[in-house]
Amino acid sequence: MMKNRTYLAKIAGCIIFILCLIAILSSFGFPFTPYAFDQTSEHILEAPSAQHLFGTDELGRDLLTRIIYGSQLSISIGFLTALIASIVGITYGAIAGFAGDRIDTFMMRGIDLFYALPDLLIMILVGIIIGRGTLGILLALGLVSWMGTARLVRAQFLTLKNEEFIEAARACGASSWTIITRHLLPNALSPVIVSLTFIIPSAILAESTLSFIGLGLSPPACSWGTLASEGWRALRTEPHLILWPSLFIFMVVLSFNLLGDTLADTMDPKTRV
Amino acid sequence: MSKLIIKRILIMLPLLWLIATLTFFLLRVLPGGPFDAEKNLPPEIIANLKAKYHMDRTLPEQYYIYLQRVVKGDLGISYKYLDRSVNDILASALPVSLTLGIAALFLAIIIGVPLGIVAATKKGTAIDAMCIICSTLGVSLPSFVIGALLIFVFGIWLKLLPVALWESAWHVILPAFTLASGPTAYLARLTRSSVIDALSKDWVRTAQIKGEPYLQTVINHALRNALIPIITVLGPLSAILITGSFVVETIYAIPGMGRFFITAVSNRDYDLVIGTTLIFALLLIIANTIVDILYHILDPRITISD
Repeated sequence: MMKNRTYLAKIAGCIIFILCLIAILSSFGFPFTPYAFDQTSEHILEAPSAQHLFGTDELGRDLLTRIIYGSQLSISIGFLTALIASIVGITYGAIAGFAGDRIDTFMMRGIDLFYALPDLLIMILVGIIIGRGTLGILLALGLVSWMGTARLVRAQFLTLKNEEFIEAARACGASSWTIITRHLLPNALSPVIVSLTFIIPSAILAESTLSFIGLGLSPPACSWGTLASEGWRALRTEPHLILWPSLFIFMVVLSFNLLGDTLADTMDPKTRV
Repeated sequence: MSKLIIKRILIMLPLLWLIATLTFFLLRVLPGGPFDAEKNLPPEIIANLKAKYHMDRTLPEQYYIYLQRVVKGDLGISYKYLDRSVNDILASALPVSLTLGIAALFLAIIIGVPLGIVAATKKGTAIDAMCIICSTLGVSLPSFVIGALLIFVFGIWLKLLPVALWESAWHVILPAFTLASGPTAYLARLTRSSVIDALSKDWVRTAQIKGEPYLQTVINHALRNALIPIITVLGPLSAILITGSFVVETIYAIPGMGRFFITAVSNRDYDLVIGTTLIFALLLIIANTIVDILYHILDPRITISD
């Protein structure tokens, strides 16, 4: 079983690597552009064919090209959200865990408040205030993703700071800053890395959900989420328009989840079987 | 128990006030107003409209007027659904969303928990792998894609179930399954890991050595202890259900709270947004209180402190 799972995780890792590669390469001028459209009647809403592998949309744009371009936005949203979440989460968790006592209790209540509110509610309100551009969506996604990381870091800090090696560092006259950055953080990082592999797929899913309810990225921007939600409108007549983007979302999210599961199993000896 | 409930109510009131205040000012800060969508209104009419809804006053005055009304139980009026008060809209939308949410929660529990138990007791076998795969699928697709899939198979292809609106009990089935997909997967994974954890405990081994049948051990000893982490997530799970309802109600054109909330936000329908937000918060507080009470019933060792 264990062997099977590492095997799956390797495949998942390869899929993620290939998709990232596609996203990066396509940003260096790909032969087609996602906005080039062919409005001659025979190429509009075409089913998949040899010329257009994934078919075309209502403006005659090639769906494969659009999906390749969409990967830039979808994948970078995933990674950047994880980046924001880890910066905010690690800082918040480190302060709470290191300070302890009252400050800790107060900061944890703050997290509880964020947990209590439905994510989408926060994202919608923030998205509207900052605007529906990529930046607005990123900040909104980041704002609802950091709490888990903060809790993990704080829990690690609380147990680690009573360990002997911290006491030794303190006895040697190390400053709080050195203790946090040199001794506590490196030891607290492994669960954080695991949690990041779960933040990325949920950010990609959340972005597509936001686009679907019409409060995410707006049309000229093209991500897998916007493509799938555009496809949703033609579900009855042109199912290929929702099929392909969803398949890509599915692939990347599944890969990250499998990778995360395996990482969690290998890094946490308690659940290892 | 009654002490807990009284305490919760006492905390609830300031919390609701805080949420109402935050949403009130947040919405007023947003660019755009409720009458922007009307085309080419003469300035006099806009001024009249604003005066009617007290929007010509200063913000603190508006806030004061709003609070005065809310305290009396009047959540205001909708600017978009003419002649409908927010109370009226919520009274019609809340039962719809509650039905959907409870149906989905029920589905998630009766599918997810057994799936997790089976996976845990057959750990390492093909059955376990199947359960893991099913639950990973459930969390790897956006819910609107799952909805599209269900609509395509059961609505368009097999023509078995209605795909939109909210009329008969048949109309509940597809939305409830769509809404339940994420929570089911979540519960299955959680049940699996907590049952595996409980099965490795000493008391399970003791029961086994004494000759108790395996199934009975699982149910009496492992499951009961595994239920505590499961109950814990029912609180966050209700938040997930509310988030899900936004999407599911949009997919199936269901006149519930989630759909009203989304249209109200886009329309800057101030009072309706605050009203729905308050009800959502209230629902979550109630859900969390129920969870705490269940805790106490399941494991009397847990004392309820706050």
